[in-house]
Amino acid sequence: MIEEPFATGNSAVHNIDPRFRVIAAVVYSFAVALCYGFVPLITAFAVSAVSLLMCRVSLKKVLKQLALVNGFILLFWIVLPLTYPGGATYPLGPVTIHQAGIAFAAKITLKSNAILMALIAFIATMTLATLGHTLGRLKVPEKLVFLLMITYRYVFVIAQEYQKIIKSIKIRGFRPKTTLHTYKTFAYVVGMLLIRASERADRVYNAMRCRGFKGTYYSLTDFQADAGSWIFLIIVFGATTAVVALEIFLRF
Amino acid sequence: MHISEGILSGPVLLSGAALAAAGTAIGLKKLDYDRIARTGILSAAFFVASLIHVPVGPTSVHLILNGIVGILLGWCAFPAILIALLLQGLFFQFGGITTLGVNTLIMALPAVICYYLFAPFISGKKTVAVAAAFACGFLCVLFSALIMAAALIFSEENFLEISAIVIVSHLPIMMIEGVITAFCILFLKKVQPALLSQSGQYKNGY
Amino acid sequence: MNQKEPIIKMRGVCFGYSDTAPILKDLDFDFYKGDKIGIIAPNGSGKTTLFHLIMGLIKPSCGDIEIFQAPMKTEADFADIRHRIGLLFQDADDQLFCPTVLEDVAFGPLNMGKSRKDAIDISRRTLAFLGLTDFENRITFKLSGGEKKLVSLATILSMEPEVLLLDEPLMGLDIKTRSVITRALMEMNSSYIIISHNINFLESTTHSTLTMREGSLIADDQVHVHVHDHAHVHGDVPHHH
Repeated sequence: MIEEPFATGNSAVHNIDPRFRVIAAVVYSFAVALCYGFVPLITAFAVSAVSLLMCRVSLKKVLKQLALVNGFILLFWIVLPLTYPGGATYPLGPVTIHQAGIAFAAKITLKSNAILMALIAFIATMTLATLGHTLGRLKVPEKLVFLLMITYRYVFVIAQEYQKIIKSIKIRGFRPKTTLHTYKTFAYVVGMLLIRASERADRVYNAMRCRGFKGTYYSLTDFQADAGSWIFLIIVFGATTAVVALEIFLRF
Repeated sequence: MHISEGILSGPVLLSGAALAAAGTAIGLKKLDYDRIARTGILSAAFFVASLIHVPVGPTSVHLILNGIVGILLGWCAFPAILIALLLQGLFFQFGGITTLGVNTLIMALPAVICYYLFAPFISGKKTVAVAAAFACGFLCVLFSALIMAAALIFSEENFLEISAIVIVSHLPIMMIEGVITAFCILFLKKVQPALLSQSGQYKNGY
Repeated sequence: MNQKEPIIKMRGVCFGYSDTAPILKDLDFDFYKGDKIGIIAPNGSGKTTLFHLIMGLIKPSCGDIEIFQAPMKTEADFADIRHRIGLLFQDADDQLFCPTVLEDVAFGPLNMGKSRKDAIDISRRTLAFLGLTDFENRITFKLSGGEKKLVSLATILSMEPEVLLLDEPLMGLDIKTRSVITRALMEMNSSYIIISHNINFLESTTHSTLTMREGSLIADDQVHVHVHDHAHVHGDVPHHH
C-alpha cells in the first residue's frame, strides 16, 4: 500500500548528488511559488516538465498522480471564475464569469503543477532513506533526521500489521458503511495499531539499548559531488534566475 | 488535510514555515533521545491510520486523527506531523516543499492546543473522557480548517468563498473525527491505559 | 579472567508482573566462559524474561545478578556490560531499526566508540561471514524474513560480544537460513545460551540443555529430551514417557 515508485532508476537525474537535488528543488520551488506572471509560469512549467522527462520515470504513474493532486485545484476552477472580479465578464445564466478569475485559476494550475513536477523529478527520485541522510548532511537537526529514519523504517512494518487486522475483520464479515458500528470498528483498528506500535516501540528501544545506544544516530552515507552534479545545479539555478527575471521585468 | 502547491502567497508560505519551525524546535527540545523511537513508531502508526478511508454516504474520507496525535504526543506533534507530511508528499507525490511549513502548522497547532485543552480530562472518569475525546477530535479538525481558511484569505482576499467551502466541507469530517477519537480513546483506556499517560512506558525497568 | 568464576551469576532471582503469578521464582544460574547452553521449555515459562533480566531491560523483584564479576544494581551497571553480551531478539523487525543494512550493523560498534572506518570494516567482515556480502546498501524492510534474521545476527556479532543470548533464532526460517545460523554458531568459538524448541539444532550447537519449571532453571538430565517422529501433544515440551 506504500511504495516509492520513482525512487529507483538509472537516469542522469537519479545519479546526481542528492544534496544538490534537494537544494535545487527547494530554491527552484520557492522561486516559482512567488511568481504571478503567465510568461514566467509557463517557462517554469516547461522547465519542470523537461526535468521530469529526463528522469525517465513511468509517465503513466506521473500523470495519474498529477491528476489526483489537481483535484483540489479543480475547486478553484469552479469558484474563482464566479467570484474573482476583473477583466471582461460573460453572463452565464444567473451568474457572471469573470475573465480575471479564469486567468487566476490557470496561473494556480501552472504553478502548482510546475512545483509538483520538480518535486517528482528532483526528490521523489531518491528513497526516503537517502533523503534522510541528505538532510543530515545539510545540517537539519539530528533528532529530526533520526525521527524521519525511524518513521520511514516502521511505516512498512505497521502497514503490514494494518493489513492483517483488516483481513481479520473482513473474514468476520465486516463491510464498511455509514454507521456508528463502522466508525467504532475503525476506531478500534486505530487503537489496536497504536497499541501494537507502542509495544513495538518498547522492544525497539530495548534492542537499541542492548547495542549500546547513547543518544546518537550515526549516518554512514557520504555523498560525492561529481561534475555532473555541479552542471545540474548551475542549470537549475540558471533556470530559476530566468524565471525570476521574467517575473520581475514583465511586471514593471 | 493540506493546501496544494502554488496557491498561497509568499508571505503566507514564509510565515507558515517560520511558525512551523518554531513549533518543531519546541517539540524536538521536549523530545528526549529515549523517546525518539517511540515517537517515530507512533508517528508511523498515525501515518498508516490516516490512510484509512471511512465511508460517508456515497463517498469516503480519510482519517486525520490530529486530535489523538496531540493527546499522545503533545508538542512532539509538530516534528511527528512534519515528518508524516514529508512521507506523504513523497510516497503519494502530493508535493509540499513550499507548503510544508503551512501544512504542518494546519495539522500540528490544533493538535497542541487540543492537548492542553483536553488531555487532563482524558485520564478522568469514563463519561468525562469520552466527551473530552469527542470535543478533541471535533475541534482539532475545526481549528485546522480555520487555519487553512486563514492561510487562503491572507494569500488572496478573493479566496473568501473558497475558504468558506473549505470550512463547510469539513463539517462532516469533524463529526467523524469526533466519533472516532471518542471510541479510540475509550478503547485505549480499556486496553492499555498506560499509553495515555506519558510516564506509563518502560515499566519494570531500571 | 578466572575460568572458575561464572561470568553470569544469578542468585534467588524473582520476577513477575503481578505478585500472584511470578514468572521467575528463586532462580539460580551460573554461566561460565565457554559454556554453550540450550534452553528448551514451554511458552510462557519465562525464558525471554531470563534474557531480559541478564541484559538489565527489566528489573528483578528480588535476588542478585552479577555479570563479569560485577554486581548489577543500576541501569548504569548494565549499560557498561551490555555491549559484551549480544541479545538476538525474537522479531528481527524490532532489532533492525535503521533504513539500510550497513548502518544497522555498524550501529553497535559506533556506540562502542569505534571510528567510522573501523565500524564499517568490521560490519563488512561480519556480513561476509554470514554470506551477506552484497547486502550493505539494501533497505532493511525489503529483506526476506530469513535475510532479516541473518542481518539481526550480524548487528550482534559486529559488536564482538563475549556471550550471545539467542531467543528462538530459527523461528520461522527456511532450511537454508537455518543451516547458515547453525554453521555460524559451530564455527565461532563463542559462549552462548540459545532458547529454542528445535532439539536437533540444540544438539548440534550446545553442550547441555536446561529447562524451566516453576520459575526456575533445572538441568535437562531430569527431563530426558529426544526427537519425536510421531505426532505428540507435548511436541515442543520436554516431558516424561
